[in-house]
Amino acid sequence: MDPLSLEFMRKALVAATVVCAVAPLVGTFVVQRQQSLTGDGLGHVAFAGVGLAFLVGASPLFGALAMTLLAAAALHRMQRGGLAGDLSLALVFYGGIALGYLFASRSGGGVNAVLGFLFGSPLDLQWAEVAAVVALSLLVLAVVVVLYRPLVAVAFDEAAARVAGVPADGLVLTLTLIVALVVVGGMSALGLLLISAMMVVPVAAAAQVATSYRGTMVLASGIGAGSAVTGLLLAYHADATPGASIVLVAIACYLAAATVRATVSRRADSARWSRTVSQ
Amino acid sequence: MTSRRPVALEFDHVTFGYGRTPVLREACLRVAQGRFVAVVGANGSGKTTLLKLGLGLLRPAAGTVRLFGQPVQTFRDWPSVGYVPQRAAAASALPISVEEVVRSGLAGRLGLLGRPSAEDRDRVEHVTDLLGVATLRRSPITRLSGGQQQRVLLARALVTRPRLLVLDEPTTGVDAGARSVLRESLEHLVAVEGVAVTYISHDPEGFSGLADQVLEVCAGRVIPARDDHEHPHLGPAEPSAPARTPADGTQQLTEGQG
Repeated sequence: MDPLSLEFMRKALVAATVVCAVAPLVGTFVVQRQQSLTGDGLGHVAFAGVGLAFLVGASPLFGALAMTLLAAAALHRMQRGGLAGDLSLALVFYGGIALGYLFASRSGGGVNAVLGFLFGSPLDLQWAEVAAVVALSLLVLAVVVVLYRPLVAVAFDEAAARVAGVPADGLVLTLTLIVALVVVGGMSALGLLLISAMMVVPVAAAAQVATSYRGTMVLASGIGAGSAVTGLLLAYHADATPGASIVLVAIACYLAAATVRATVSRRADSARWSRTVSQ
Repeated sequence: MTSRRPVALEFDHVTFGYGRTPVLREACLRVAQGRFVAVVGANGSGKTTLLKLGLGLLRPAAGTVRLFGQPVQTFRDWPSVGYVPQRAAAASALPISVEEVVRSGLAGRLGLLGRPSAEDRDRVEHVTDLLGVATLRRSPITRLSGGQQQRVLLARALVTRPRLLVLDEPTTGVDAGARSVLRESLEHLVAVEGVAVTYISHDPEGFSGLADQVLEVCAGRVIPARDDHEHPHLGPAEPSAPARTPADGTQQLTEGQG
């Protein structure tokens, strides 16, 4: 059967493709600033938000959104206050998972439902949820497009950007907030534990072959979207879990790109060697 | 004696420490427009702290840092200040082209929502030409040699036509040819364009013959550099700084006026 004829597949494809195309755009700034685990840390906080939402009977999306935005602001404050980046992330990371589990266990029958958000369930999405994912992704895309130049300046060299008069503190906070938005946008389609992979893996793949920052961004976004479509279709035909399939396709892209780069670089070295010998 | 040239960078009895560890005590210095002042000192002496204070990246515990006569905390004309960090700043995790790095120098002047004009794009071309990296515009900075990377960082600092240029260890890991290009560029900037240069380094070879004055950060003080025993490449000692030994025993004012 044609998977596109199934409504649940169409919903999954729209949500996963949009969020996986946008996540690497934010990921380029996070990876460049060597804070690749920020998404992971905020994912754990979103887990606490989902648990709290189940406990009080609210929407998991709003629970996760409120909690991650608060945590993003707190993380920014801790890091600007001199706490080492990995230590502040660890505090957020462990605090989030502990609170999430506490809230989930208190919510009675909601434990399994809360745990389901860790790996996502794109095939169960309603159109309203798809619309929320698309809206969050478009908001993130708009922020990245509008603030692209100052964000690049801060990501490449924060001290020089400050000296040049770029409001670095506000931009770093904005960056952490849009990471939070991507995490919440991707939690139902890929899961809280896997969405951060789509902020990092496509960027790592694109960086193997791109020669510019903009090129890395565009290519990473394409790899993210392509991984979402391919992963979902593979999951459908192989009866596998969709989130895991998407991330594994992205990792396969990274391995392919790294192989291409190694091959090109080996050929260039051997051509250079031949020229040197012939001279 | 006071220089008639406008002062680009001034430290007025600046004291700073990290926690309870004092780094600078009552430090004074002046860099006038069109002058080249080198600051030397051993590792950990406080050179980089001095630089960060001068650029507003740190706040002094006491005293005042002024840029073009204005306290650094309220200074807003940042495009008139160019900063060239150590080459390690070019160690990018992702590919970023030479053109993108140089353009990033415009980010402060353009503001959050501004877009580069045709004139800005011409300026990017001009500075990359000037520093001999125009043909590398589309290359990722990480694939360039140390000297080329340093020139790209200098081009980024020059793209806003700064009146004050602050360089941090610009010759570290840079080969002789690239040092020579850097020297020529700095000579041109000071002599022709009247840029004030503050050059922080532990390696006197980079500024020997260029500096109007060489200062040393020593035990938290900024003093005229010691003689050739300490810095054999410095050549003859610069004319002594205008001496002003305050009655309260604080450090003398040292002025980069040549």
